[in-house]
Amino acid sequence: MDILRNWKIHLLVLIIVVMSENLGVVKYSLIILLPLLHALVLGGIISFPKFKILSTKQMEVAAGILPIAMMLLIVKIGLDIGPNISLLFHSKGALLLQEIGHFFGTVILGLPIAVFLRMGRESIGATYSVAREPNIAIIAEKFGLDSPEGRGVMATYICGTLVGAVWLSILTGVVAKLGILHPYALAMGSGVGSGSMMAASVGSIIAAYPEMEQQIRAYAGAANLMSTILGIYVSLFFSLPLATKLYNFLSKFQSDKETAKEKV
Amino acid sequence: MNKLQNMTVAMVLSGLLMAVGNVIGYQVDWYSSLLGVLVIIVIGLIGMAVSQLPGLNKLPMVFWISIVAIIISLPSFPGSAWVIQITKKVQFLAVTTPILAYAGLSLGKDIELFKKLSWKIVPVTLAVMTGTFLFAAIIAQFVLKWEGAI
Repeated sequence: MDILRNWKIHLLVLIIVVMSENLGVVKYSLIILLPLLHALVLGGIISFPKFKILSTKQMEVAAGILPIAMMLLIVKIGLDIGPNISLLFHSKGALLLQEIGHFFGTVILGLPIAVFLRMGRESIGATYSVAREPNIAIIAEKFGLDSPEGRGVMATYICGTLVGAVWLSILTGVVAKLGILHPYALAMGSGVGSGSMMAASVGSIIAAYPEMEQQIRAYAGAANLMSTILGIYVSLFFSLPLATKLYNFLSKFQSDKETAKEKV
Repeated sequence: MNKLQNMTVAMVLSGLLMAVGNVIGYQVDWYSSLLGVLVIIVIGLIGMAVSQLPGLNKLPMVFWISIVAIIISLPSFPGSAWVIQITKKVQFLAVTTPILAYAGLSLGKDIELFKKLSWKIVPVTLAVMTGTFLFAAIIAQFVLKWEGAI
């Protein structure tokens, strides 16, 4: 990956940053649109294959810089944890237990919908996790990526890459404006184990509660760190078996109905 | 160029773009923006170096960079107040914009793959993302109340 030789990418990012920051935070009643969201959408439009502005190789360079730039965000968030360390220690139970929600929330809400839409065994791969790189590796090793489970995890990975950050940013903004859940709780919720999605989600919480900015980032950073450390083990030993069991259970009803229909 | 040199260049370059956004979007002066970004980059590089140490490289780099940033920001760490004061000038949102711009520019290759998928994956993915966010937030809300943190 030759980073400097692909100056076109950096120039485009510079233009996108200038445009997005000039536009600033846009609010329509419950919906908050952040500069990061403008940047994501503008970038997506520029990279649209039809326009032929970027080659696939250039897009791969952009994808390669993404995790490195993300490290600077990780530093920025980490620096908020130290000053709030006693606050975080005071809520260590919440930080630990909220991970249960992160790891099983995908299955509880996603799997019934996937089974209802008759996605077959792809439902398991598609909903057992948020389908980021480590989760793909687990499925690749256990089932292979050519299996239904493998196709499922790849489908959620691709779709999540395209819509995940946009969706979480808007969803979080709406939930934050409703004011039912405390911003600290929302902050922990945003630590979903994907950097861009966390950034989009945290950005929306901060836009709604600017006075608690530092604490919100501290909670989100701590939760995201927990997801990073525990993620692989929990999704391998707990989420995947749960998704498989729940799939077998739910699809039983479906095949009963199916055979009943065939008999008629 | 080896991998670490490449990463250093990418960090400096994306850091500069963050400084640009910080000046344009949040009316922070150039000097404070560049200094803040420089300190953030240095901490990132220290974390990167730590993650390469023998024995420590079993855990992902993002973990070590987090740990280094957390330790430096602890009130008992010498100079932490200075680091926090300098880096506070770099707005969180200004840091996120170039990252998501790079993410956006890489989406084109996923659009082709996406076209081959069934529409069904869209509601399922949205449910997956909603589930992980909402369930964690709801559990956190109850436990935070119970712990008396909110």
